[in-house]
Amino acid sequence: MFNIWRLLFLLLLVPPAFAQEDAPYFVTYDHHLEEPGNLELEMNTTTGVPRKGQRAYVAPFAELQYGVNRWWTSELYLEGQSTAGDSTLFTGWRLESRFRPLAAEYPINPVLYLEYENVNEASRIQKEIVGKAPLGFEPNSELRQTHAHELEAKLILSSDVRHWNIAENFIVERNLSESEGFEFGYAFATSRRLTQSVSPRPCHFCRENLVAGLEFYGGLGSTQSFGLQQTAHYAAPVLAWALTDKSTLSFSPAVGLTRHSNPVLLRAGYSYEIRGFRNKLRRFFGSH
Amino acid sequence: MNYRPLSITILAFASLACLGIAQTAKPPADKWEAPADAAAKPNPEAKNPDAAAVGRKLYMRTCVGCHEEDGSGKDTGAANLRSPEVQAQSDGALFWKVSNGNTAAGMPSFASLPETDRWDVVTFLRTLKDANGTGAEGSGQGKKDSPQGPKSKGR
Repeated sequence: MFNIWRLLFLLLLVPPAFAQEDAPYFVTYDHHLEEPGNLELEMNTTTGVPRKGQRAYVAPFAELQYGVNRWWTSELYLEGQSTAGDSTLFTGWRLESRFRPLAAEYPINPVLYLEYENVNEASRIQKEIVGKAPLGFEPNSELRQTHAHELEAKLILSSDVRHWNIAENFIVERNLSESEGFEFGYAFATSRRLTQSVSPRPCHFCRENLVAGLEFYGGLGSTQSFGLQQTAHYAAPVLAWALTDKSTLSFSPAVGLTRHSNPVLLRAGYSYEIRGFRNKLRRFFGSH
Repeated sequence: MNYRPLSITILAFASLACLGIAQTAKPPADKWEAPADAAAKPNPEAKNPDAAAVGRKLYMRTCVGCHEEDGSGKDTGAANLRSPEVQAQSDGALFWKVSNGNTAAGMPSFASLPETDRWDVVTFLRTLKDANGTGAEGSGQGKKDSPQGPKSKGR
């Protein structure tokens, strides 16, 4: 059997290569942080195609990602949800920070991720899949009554190997509002630009502006019941198109691999980077 | 309740945090100069008419986040690539800096980019001009030698 230690050992043997740019993933994080002082605005949606007897939903969320310094990126999420035949509501917010302890590029680059979530049970963005509890499909008016204060940590390992990015996330989450134990999850992904050759002519819809990849993510149960039983897992091709040097469109149809997953999750996103945001803000307010 | 996965997680995080503290405690390199032999290397892409255009695309993909579109770095605090200090350096010296980086000061290494691409980026850097109109043509190209070594020829 091909085990994870053998894979990590092989990664250590391969010299790091290319990338520096953001990978196109929706769930998995790689080791590339936001540049210091830059702000990235993102609008994303997760659309859930339901099983029989369930209702479809669209869960939009906004992300504001800010590069505090070269080893720390912080991000605020604001999320909502709209269920067919039910209602539209604000489902909460999340605040996360990512810390990259090693500045230089290594064959495997670790990043620490810490997040606080203040969401209710109607949350549907499915930014990460942990534990084994399936989504509740009660009416939104009931789901919104249950609030969750959660702490989440991830160990992000990411490598740029010969034009490919390979990223592994190991997730542990603790609901501070209920005694569910510690819940676990994972996300693995790989991606690469469709072509490495660069044309001297300007182009928009061309292979050099497209990055494609594949994500796998899912839950691993909890300390109360560790394992794959009753867990949700997804396989998700991802495609990102760099519209300009500041903006990117991304799309990912995730296919549920178990009967506790949604059959399909359609994810779409648009991101725009404001460079030098910190200094622009300082100038706007008249200080240095 | 099984706390073993949690203990491993905490241990892993603590180890990485220690590494991070050690990393940030490292003083930044205050003298960053290319070795003389690297600075003397001629730019093989200097006569390629497409090099600057390709270099611009690569710059917009990998460098613009810090150095900004005009190379000034005025809003991000990164090095001003249009400044006489930068433009006075030889192509070989700039190539060496792009290739090796200076991570202690925030500049990553781009050694993983193909060598031709790195030379193309250097060729593009020569097209950046300072606000007063100086830049590649105005500041560095005419001088025989920079502190890092002689200029590349044929440009």
